[in-house]
Amino acid sequence: MKTTKKYWKGLAQLHDDPIVEKLAQNEFVENLPVDEFLGDKENLSSTSSSRRDFLKFLGFSTAAATLAACETPIVKSIPYLVKPDEIIPGVANYYASTIYDGRDYASVLVKTREGRPIKIENNGTCSNSRVQASVLSLYDSARLKHPLKSSEESNWRTVDYEIKEKLSNIKDGKIALLTSTILSPTIKQLIQEFAEKYNNVEHVMMDSTPYDGILDANLETFGSRLAPSYSFDKADVIVSFGADFLANWMANEYATDYVKGRDPKNGKMSKHFQLETNLSLSGANADKRIQIKPSEHGYLISSLLDGIKGNKFDSRLEKIVKALSNAKGKSIVLSNSNDKNVQLIVNAINNELSNYDKTILTNQPTYLKQGNSQAVDNLLSDMKDGKVSALITYNVNPSYSYNKSKQFNEALKNVELKISTSSYNDETASLMDYVCPDSHNLESWGDANPKQGNYSLMQPTISPLFDTRQFQETLLSWTDRSDYFSYLKSFWIEKGIDWNVTLHDGYFHLEDKKIKLKKFVDRSSPIKNTISTDLELELYETIALGDGYQANNPWLQELPDPLTRACWDNYLTISAHTAKEFGLENWNVSNGALNGSMVNIEADGVSLQNVPVLISPGQARSTVGMAIGYGRTKAGKAGDGIGFNAYPFTGKKTISIEKVEGEYEFASIQLHHTMMGRDIVKETTLSEYIKDPSSGNHRETYATYKGKLTADKVTLYEAHDLEIGHFWNLSIDLNSCIGCGECVIACQSENNIPVVGKEEMRKSRDMHWMRIDRYFSSDMTEELSAKEKISMIDMFSEMEEPSENPEVVFQPIMCMHCNNAPCETVCPVAATTHSNEGLNQMTYNRCVGTRYCANNCPYKVRRFNWFQYSDNDKFDFNMNDDYGKMVLNPDVVVRSRGVIEKCSMCIQKIQELKLNAKKSGQPIKDADAQTACASSCSTNAIVFGDSNNKDSEVWRLRNDERAYDLLDHLNVRPSVFYQTKIRNKA
Amino acid sequence: MHKESEIRDPLILGNKTYHDITRDIARPVEGKANKYWWILFGLSVFLFLWGIGCMAYTIGTGIGAWGLNKTVNWAWDITNFVWWIGIGHAGTLISAVLLLFRQKWRMAINRSAEAMTIFGVVQAGIFPLIHMGRPWLAYWVFPFPNEYGPLWQNFNSPLLWDVFAISTYLTVSTVFWYIGLIPDFAMIRDRMSKTISPMKKKLYTLLAFGWSGRAKHWQRFEEVSLVLAGLATPLVFSVHSIVSMDFATSVIPGWHTTIFPPYFVLGALFSGFAMVETLLIIMRKVVNMEAYITIKHIEYMNVIILFTGSLVGTAYITELFMAWYSGVAFEQYAFLNRATGPYWWAYAAMMSCNVIIPQLYWIKSIRTSFIATFILSIFVNIGMWFERFVIIVTSLHRDFLPSSWTMFSPTFIDIGIFLGTIGFFFTLFLMYARTFPVVAQAELKTILKSSGSEYKNKTHE
Repeated sequence: MKTTKKYWKGLAQLHDDPIVEKLAQNEFVENLPVDEFLGDKENLSSTSSSRRDFLKFLGFSTAAATLAACETPIVKSIPYLVKPDEIIPGVANYYASTIYDGRDYASVLVKTREGRPIKIENNGTCSNSRVQASVLSLYDSARLKHPLKSSEESNWRTVDYEIKEKLSNIKDGKIALLTSTILSPTIKQLIQEFAEKYNNVEHVMMDSTPYDGILDANLETFGSRLAPSYSFDKADVIVSFGADFLANWMANEYATDYVKGRDPKNGKMSKHFQLETNLSLSGANADKRIQIKPSEHGYLISSLLDGIKGNKFDSRLEKIVKALSNAKGKSIVLSNSNDKNVQLIVNAINNELSNYDKTILTNQPTYLKQGNSQAVDNLLSDMKDGKVSALITYNVNPSYSYNKSKQFNEALKNVELKISTSSYNDETASLMDYVCPDSHNLESWGDANPKQGNYSLMQPTISPLFDTRQFQETLLSWTDRSDYFSYLKSFWIEKGIDWNVTLHDGYFHLEDKKIKLKKFVDRSSPIKNTISTDLELELYETIALGDGYQANNPWLQELPDPLTRACWDNYLTISAHTAKEFGLENWNVSNGALNGSMVNIEADGVSLQNVPVLISPGQARSTVGMAIGYGRTKAGKAGDGIGFNAYPFTGKKTISIEKVEGEYEFASIQLHHTMMGRDIVKETTLSEYIKDPSSGNHRETYATYKGKLTADKVTLYEAHDLEIGHFWNLSIDLNSCIGCGECVIACQSENNIPVVGKEEMRKSRDMHWMRIDRYFSSDMTEELSAKEKISMIDMFSEMEEPSENPEVVFQPIMCMHCNNAPCETVCPVAATTHSNEGLNQMTYNRCVGTRYCANNCPYKVRRFNWFQYSDNDKFDFNMNDDYGKMVLNPDVVVRSRGVIEKCSMCIQKIQELKLNAKKSGQPIKDADAQTACASSCSTNAIVFGDSNNKDSEVWRLRNDERAYDLLDHLNVRPSVFYQTKIRNKA
Repeated sequence: MHKESEIRDPLILGNKTYHDITRDIARPVEGKANKYWWILFGLSVFLFLWGIGCMAYTIGTGIGAWGLNKTVNWAWDITNFVWWIGIGHAGTLISAVLLLFRQKWRMAINRSAEAMTIFGVVQAGIFPLIHMGRPWLAYWVFPFPNEYGPLWQNFNSPLLWDVFAISTYLTVSTVFWYIGLIPDFAMIRDRMSKTISPMKKKLYTLLAFGWSGRAKHWQRFEEVSLVLAGLATPLVFSVHSIVSMDFATSVIPGWHTTIFPPYFVLGALFSGFAMVETLLIIMRKVVNMEAYITIKHIEYMNVIILFTGSLVGTAYITELFMAWYSGVAFEQYAFLNRATGPYWWAYAAMMSCNVIIPQLYWIKSIRTSFIATFILSIFVNIGMWFERFVIIVTSLHRDFLPSSWTMFSPTFIDIGIFLGTIGFFFTLFLMYARTFPVVAQAELKTILKSSGSEYKNKTHE
């Protein structure tokens, strides 16, 4: 019922008398007697309000104003008006989705809290640090917040209207779509539909690192331009020529299988040979690593083919030929060469070894690399010739990552209509007429077909933060349609999948049409040895930044490289020998930080000035390596101006360097590279292990009155009672850990670890709760010094030098949760205490920051908040940004300055686990007990669980012959323990 | 009472009468300061203010203002702390232990040595406070009734033992010092004119605590002094033993050493005497105490320095021997690294200043020269600072896992704070020299007649 009642204050108001309105406007009916009061000087001077009174009033009003200003700022928390059913505050929701950014693919579970995605979990596939960190890129405030027209803010209506009109008016010229590799079947169909609507549409795909060599070679040998998939778990011998398949080569899916094939338990391990120029992650994990120059690459592969065929071959390959000959059908030979001829020989080798359809599956190709450099080059020449009227880019940044970026930028001027769909106003987008920003993966619907028969779905976990629109929706709107979700859903329902189940699982299998391949045709031709004395360059991708797409992600910038341990930089890696030839040096300054010489580099008209040089053991002589993905200029505040852009050097083999004056400051967090003869990473060989499973793991004993005893038997301490309840333990298998650093990012994401920036990293003030130590072997050993009677001082100083081609070990280190913890006894205020579940707990609120615990920690895992790292303009990273702070895990407190922090073994997850178990009345399932590092580990090297549960995996590992405590002579009894590393060498 | 000996060297030169002593001791308090005093005071206050600025900056921004890192979490802060505590030691030793041993020569220097102790402990106390990440919560290290559970301190922690040891030491030293001052304050009170300086008169009246010089007062004075000396004596040994346990009870190679308590106490006496010499040689000039602080005193102290310095050297060598003898690779490396690693220069500075240079005191002419003593005492002060730096930094910077090995380099804030405490120390000491009777004149008068008249009649030098 509508009420028409009106209330009035008087009859005048009822009758709408104008005086009412007039009075309402005029607050002071009479003029205030201000003039009268102030004008009356006589009265004023004789007023009774004395100076004393004046001061009283002044004092009161100042105090009152001050008190009023002291009010606590109000932070509004607004309850849901209508609460969505699935959201319970404090309880996380998980959604299966897919991450694909044109470079990295992973099927993932997205953890959301109160509608915010905060963490990426693996969903059955291998992932990497960039996938883990992509959740922070969602909250990147450098992302475009609205469409751009000529670099000015615009709106979707205008942009769509104008673009559609311009596209329709194109008559002769081509409309070129330049995209990354497209995995999505629906995008492919949408592009087709787009091509049907407009004239002359050409779709070109490019990969930031091209894989044409392998794709074209397969086109010749099998008649199909595809990249096969590899079963590393089935291979007994793996020979990789430069292919860093454990890190960045091709698809990020090989590590899991690789490690499966290297479990020594059954007395069998694959044997891995790596022949490479730069020391890569794969090379670091190899059983035998041979340093080669890039110019020898083709020749050696050719020689290997000769060897396998029984002809004469290079003597360096002797062991490899022997091993491969004994592993027919059970080996893999790989190369990272982008030369078709080289890949043809690789194919011939694998064919000769009958590896096809056994370890190398051509009928199950991977679709992650479909780019075609020839097509891109053709597009460039078409652009130069003015044949291209419109250019639409998606997921690519050619102005940055294309090796002919200069020409590309020049040719862009010939294109009438330039459209980018980049999420950022990046190097390419800033040159475009229109930017139609794409939404982030986590805001989008989508699908992917990474491999023959394998599919996954992408679903949004948050509504777009900014006024962005996913590319698919953009394509739909340019073909006068909308609603990509319905499009996607009907697309897949037509294929006969159960939508709800699939969306829940995230991935599914479909029997696709079989790929028809020709019979193998050997088109290889031998390559001769060309001995070159030139300095040669090999580019590589770092584990953190990859191709540089996520360069504005501070987590990734601050992730130390697994091998050089430097972050926030790229540099030339060079061997100590070659550095000496050029007079290049690395040295430590007084606070330990690393400095290095700088050079100018030049190759075929491409040059870079003042590039720092980092001496890297394992680098082949007369070669240098350099990472791509750095040197972004329009990435955002974290990524801009970090390092140097090496993309223009793609394809350049020989370079010249010239030393320049000055020194460069690195941010390297490991300044010491060898184990100094200490038993830190215990290792043995496979043959020793078969003889004695505890080989390499014999504990030191001490002579006592009771006879020889191990350290844990000689103690004054009363042990904690850990028999009752849970006893949380963590096992780290040094044989499975490949050192990729994914766990470091997972930990950072789960535990709200701040980013501290290059300067602080340089000062050894990293905040990471877990780190992956990397040690190189040294030529000097205690045995050698004893044999050659070398003095102890000389021995130690020589031990500091890593070998030229060192053996490498990785060791993840986090708080060991000692059960006789040195940190606990020394804290004056009892801020760090022991739990009865075997955990060392840190009470931030109680910590006064004496740092005594950090000094007394034998593993140096305690991290001090040297400054306020959140809401501080000096640390202008995600914690100083309203969007960036949305990634914070609400279950973990953000630490204030002046307190110590460290790994808590994800206590918040343990607590949740216990509460859920209590609610359901069921005992905790072993598989449910996970820490962030354990659940993120793609190779299952980290296993967490309750050692008091005798069925648990961790209990089994605790009692394995390979299990050992780090620094066990201290008898601190850590809850974290390691499994010895095993090398498959004679 | 005291027997006058014909052949004993006089402890007071210049054939002073009782009244001369009174006048000499009261002069700095009653008169105007000379030029040297103002120059030194100005410099000290400047340094002090500079230090205050650096401390404020640290508290305002965070400990990151210092050169510390994840591996070396203590460096100059705790080095300075231990150094200052060590300096404090000589005062108590002189006033308490030498009192018990009836060493008469201590009477001319005990007042200043004790003042130095207290001012040194004040400087030392600054460091544990400001080295905390959250110094505003420093009161949590004291066991006070609270509503946090109640939550108590961790009595296992050597840092907590430090809190008790140092606060006890400071309390006992201050009381002991004050008790000794009472008759002297009374002397100044009695000399003050009520009309010329009424405020001062009031102040000294208050400080003199109603002292009237009656026999009963003297008797109680002697008794209390003896009791306090008895109480203070164990403190001489306990404080630095406990400070050494900050290191000795840890697991870090180079810290985890059972020799530390005696080693630290000896080091403290060594550095304390050096600092007493530095101060007294300046003071006797600045406030004209040449007749009371004589070369005889300096020589006695030099003998102690020679003795403790040699013992400290023995301790250094014992450490090296034990590292080798233990057979523990980590220990061996820690000591090898100390001597030959990147901080070899600090180790060399420590060894030469503490062990080699004091051996010069075997030579009588050096032992009995003010100039030489002053220079050598500075060397010892520097050497003992380096000793603490070497123990703290070289042990931490390369401990168990080489992956964490790094270095330490001070920032200008680190340096500023250290200089600030030196400034603060001298500010206090110079103010003390102008307001307090710097020599225990009441006690000193008891030994005026203990030496032969033929020596007394010679004026000094």
